[in-house]
Amino acid sequence: MKRLLKLAALLGLVTVLTTGCAVNRATANVDPSANLSSLKTMYVKRIADDDNTYNLIADKLRSKGVTVSTGTEAAPSGVDAVVTYIDKWMWDMTMYMLELTVNIRDPKTDFPLATGNSFHTSLTRLSPTEMVNEVVDNIYKDAK
Amino acid sequence: MIVTAHRSLLLAAVALTLVLGGCASPADRAAMTPQNLTVSKHHPYSLRVQTGGGAETGTMDSSNISNADLKAAIEDAVVRSKLFTSIVQGSNGDYELSVRLTSLSKPTFGGTFTVDMETAWSLTKTSDHSVALRKSVKTSGTATMSDAFAGVTRLRMAVEAATRNNIEQGLKAVAELNL
Repeated sequence: MKRLLKLAALLGLVTVLTTGCAVNRATANVDPSANLSSLKTMYVKRIADDDNTYNLIADKLRSKGVTVSTGTEAAPSGVDAVVTYIDKWMWDMTMYMLELTVNIRDPKTDFPLATGNSFHTSLTRLSPTEMVNEVVDNIYKDAK
Repeated sequence: MIVTAHRSLLLAAVALTLVLGGCASPADRAAMTPQNLTVSKHHPYSLRVQTGGGAETGTMDSSNISNADLKAAIEDAVVRSKLFTSIVQGSNGDYELSVRLTSLSKPTFGGTFTVDMETAWSLTKTSDHSVALRKSVKTSGTATMSDAFAGVTRLRMAVEAATRNNIEQGLKAVAELNL
């Protein structure tokens, strides 16, 4: 009985403090007024403590024919778009990328011209390269 | 015998957890609608609203915002505030408002939940496709243990608050335009 109460208390705590269960999701959308094929030069704005995600995004965009530079500073003048991203990591036996959001923005106004998001929990986790490929491919698939 | 007893205890505890909390429910369209929105201008035109970037809330998911609910909440806020004369469906409105959810950052664990949200608002004149507004709207919403005890409910309330604030800011920006 004591064990049951302990277990129930533990699961109750989990219920109170956590927000959900397991899911896989991959979405993308492009603003109706945006033309991705006209964006030939992009600047991937690196998050300061990011080791490699910015490189993966840059490489993937290069494979789409875009000339890409990276850095932590403000975007250089003359680029057609600035790429920002949010990568969320989780630990389950090993670290894995839980969620990746990539935004392609107008360099002058910061307006998000196109957005992609992928979310994969532990059991169906993807490698960082696969996450980046999925997000960027979905953005271009949704473009005009 | 001992293994069977443990298994029963575990099943009972899991059942109790599901009864206490369950999984997530989607953000509610009424709760996402700003209630007392006052705008500086009333545009004498009809408006079509389209939304994107949202997601349905699966049974094993955390609270999301569906495109249909976001659209309904924006339309309801436009009607309540009389920002435009009418809302139309299809492609025959004077203006088209596109609102895309570009980022929804939700916590997975904690007591007080703060959700950060970004949407891309663009308003286009239907007749000549000229762009009247392009704006990124960033807002947040918070829910505490005093708002709801169960984490899934608390998260939903934080998502709804962030969306409510977002719709309010977006429509206020539209109201400032000279159309």
